[in-house]
Parts: sequence; C-alpha cells; structure tokens
Amino acid sequence: MKILIADDSKAMRMIVVRTLRQAGMAGHEILEAEDGAQALTMAGSESPDIILSDWNMPNMTGIELLKALRAQGSQIPFCFVTSEGSEEMRTIATSAGALGLIAKPFTAEQFEEILGAVVS
Amino acid sequence: MTVIDEFEEHRQDLEDLLVEVLGSLLGADEVAPGWDEPLEDTPVLASQLAIFDREDGSYTMVEIQSPLLVGRLIGSQLLGVANPSPEDLLDVIAELGNILAGNVKSLVRHSCRLSLPTADAHERPRPSAGRGVRVTASVLGSTIELTVRSAGADEPGPDVCWPGSENYDEVMETQP
Repeated sequence: MKILIADDSKAMRMIVVRTLRQAGMAGHEILEAEDGAQALTMAGSESPDIILSDWNMPNMTGIELLKALRAQGSQIPFCFVTSEGSEEMRTIATSAGALGLIAKPFTAEQFEEILGAVVS
Repeated sequence: MTVIDEFEEHRQDLEDLLVEVLGSLLGADEVAPGWDEPLEDTPVLASQLAIFDREDGSYTMVEIQSPLLVGRLIGSQLLGVANPSPEDLLDVIAELGNILAGNVKSLVRHSCRLSLPTADAHERPRPSAGRGVRVTASVLGSTIELTVRSAGADEPGPDVCWPGSENYDEVMETQP
C-alpha cells in the first residue's frame, strides 16, 4: 500500500510515519510531499492508496488539495492530520470528502480509529 | 471583550495545552507546569505565528520560546538523531509553534485564519511586546514559554506567510 504524507514540516512527516508504525500500520511504502501542490502532482504520478495531509501548507493547503482531487474525479481516501481541530474545520473536511481530521498532538489510537478501515 | 480577554479567560487551558503538547512529544513524565518562571538567559529557539480575526480585522500573535538545549532534546527525540542540524531544530520549533497556535486558535469562537510559522534562534530570550497572556512549562528544570498577545503596529511583519494559494478564499467558498 502507498501512503502519501503531505506536510511542510519534515519533523511532522517523521512523527506521522512513526505513529503509523505504533498503530500497527507498518510495512507500507511511504511517499512524502512538502505542500499541497507537490502532493497533487504526486497523487497523479504515484497513485497513492491514501493521502494524510496537513491543512496549513504553503502554495496549496490541504483543503485546496482535497477539493482539487475531487474536482479531477479522484476518490483517493484522504485524511487531515493538522494542528487545528475545531468543529468548523471538521465539518469542512468531511463535507469536502475527507475520511476525518486527526488533530495534533495525536495518538496511535486515533490513527487506528480513523484510518483502521483503510490502512491495515 | 477583546480576543486577549478571551485568552485570559482560557489561561489555564493555555497552560494545560502547553504541558500536554510538550508531554506528547517528550513523554508526560518529563513535563510539568512552569510556575510562571522567567526564561533562563541562554540561547533560545523561537517560533511565531499570527492569527487573523476575520470579524474585526485584528491580529493576535502566538509565540513559543524554548532554551536551545531543550530544543535539541525535543529535536533529537522527534527526529531520532543524536545531533539534529540547525535547520532541523528550526523545523522542530516551527512545528511546535504550529501545533500550539492551531490549538490556541481553536479556543476562540469566531472565524480566524492562522499563518504559517516562522522560526529563529536568538542569543537570549526576547521580551514579549504588547498586551498578552504568558504561560510556561518546565522541561527537565528549564522553562518553555508560550505567549498569546495583541499584534504590535508593525505586525505581522513581511516575513509572516499565509498558507495556501492566492485563490484560497475563493476555493474555500466552493461547494464540494
């Protein structure tokens, strides 16, 4: 399985990979993008099975990325991993077609709960 | 009621947030409330973000300052390397600021927009300008400081960047 992680922080991308491992979701191919624009390109060229994306990134935000993907007809499973977890943002995320929103700081249990149906 | 008044009401939440976030990165046993101690006069890593309030057009600044040694500890823990590079340390303090500011923003009721973080290293702690709320946490005996304050007249400066494309607001109004 290919997992694309989009976050402008290298440290956070490493934390997400580690948390996936802690949640028992190890052994997958990890792809990394530094912003939404790069992730959009990689979504086309690499065909990931799921995208885990930050919300606030330079050039293209996570919500812009999700809307662009859906506008292209892509139904890649998509989950936000972001520092903002307000109800307003959760509603925007799910309305746009996201699986959910995992707010930082997060736990392996939250990854299991939201991603478990898609990532083994 | 000003935004800072709102944050003053959330002072305990801000302190809990700082302790929780640092605890999630370093282990809960390594972090305690800071008893409002001043920062030591040593080199620090600092991160700053701006929150733009769409209702009244005001800006609130969120700042985190950490002693360099504690920053190295956090960086080493997060990145799994003994000696994180200066760039990695700035990335780590920026992400710490981002996590804290995102949660700070969630404490206010109305619609706001959060900037991207900036990060710097300084020879000594910088005093906070403007009216605000300061909370601290203690990591291995050293103080880490989170400040939420009103923006000064020249803030946010030109080095503060906002996330997304030029069409961000337009995209946000687009129905899925």
